[in-house]
Amino acid sequence: MNWVARGLRLLAGGIFLVAGGLKVVDPAHFAADIDHFRLLPYFAVGPLALYLPWLEIICGLAVLAGPARRSALVVLFALTLIFIVAIASAWMRGLDIRCGCFGAASTAPLAYDLVFDLVLCVVLAWLLRVDGRPGSPPSHNV
Amino acid sequence: MARVGMHPSGTDVCRKVALLLVLALVPALVTAWLHPKRPALGWARPAVTELALADALGLAPPVIWVDARPDDEYGAGHVPGAVSLNEDRWDALLPKFLEAWQPGMRVVVYCNSQRCDASREVAVRLRHELQIDNVFVLQGGWNAWLEAQKK
Repeated sequence: MNWVARGLRLLAGGIFLVAGGLKVVDPAHFAADIDHFRLLPYFAVGPLALYLPWLEIICGLAVLAGPARRSALVVLFALTLIFIVAIASAWMRGLDIRCGCFGAASTAPLAYDLVFDLVLCVVLAWLLRVDGRPGSPPSHNV
Repeated sequence: MARVGMHPSGTDVCRKVALLLVLALVPALVTAWLHPKRPALGWARPAVTELALADALGLAPPVIWVDARPDDEYGAGHVPGAVSLNEDRWDALLPKFLEAWQPGMRVVVYCNSQRCDASREVAVRLRHELQIDNVFVLQGGWNAWLEAQKK
């Protein structure tokens, strides 16, 4: 189980590191992608486009490196839930937009991103579970 | 701090969550300050003028049509004479647009339908970054064009 957890941590941390990195390259592009969802007031779009990629990068690094891993998993799990709600809402409204999850590299239809995020959410939930409950002895190296 | 050999307590986790949230602010602020592609910050979405297809076709020449859809969709079919300019490959496509564009031209930008925003984004960038006036967005986009061809 230990190597599975390690592998999945590497995968989840790596995904957020790459996703954040691709968006940091062009925050203006990412801001447009967020705006297309029509979920946030315009004044919140720019600041979120500046902040969110760095939060993904820092939490991705924390999941990979170890310090604050559980906290980073909590943040990434919450973020992924928010992404799922946003993508599902855009999909249900029939918006002709792309997710923007991987910056300019996002070209897949929204339904694919929804499935991807649902799988990622399950992986993060499982990692949170194997990392143990607060205060309990760890079942493996953290 | 977490005790050695034990998982962090709920309070530790919460404190570190707050720390991660604050930590991300630092590079975000630097990005807002220094990044050459930082987003525009403002209270209101920049306004663009939308035109129905009949009004767009009735614009006094010279008019240039801009296809803001992805490359593959442009390749599959576009308004005759339209130049491709989308946000995904903005830097690569812009020179071709500038070759075709002449000062004084009216620019009509379109994407797929009423439910896409790519044309709006391209129109805003043309107006703000290139200081081009007379930029319009086609209501209904490519779908409206196709519908009109059927009639």
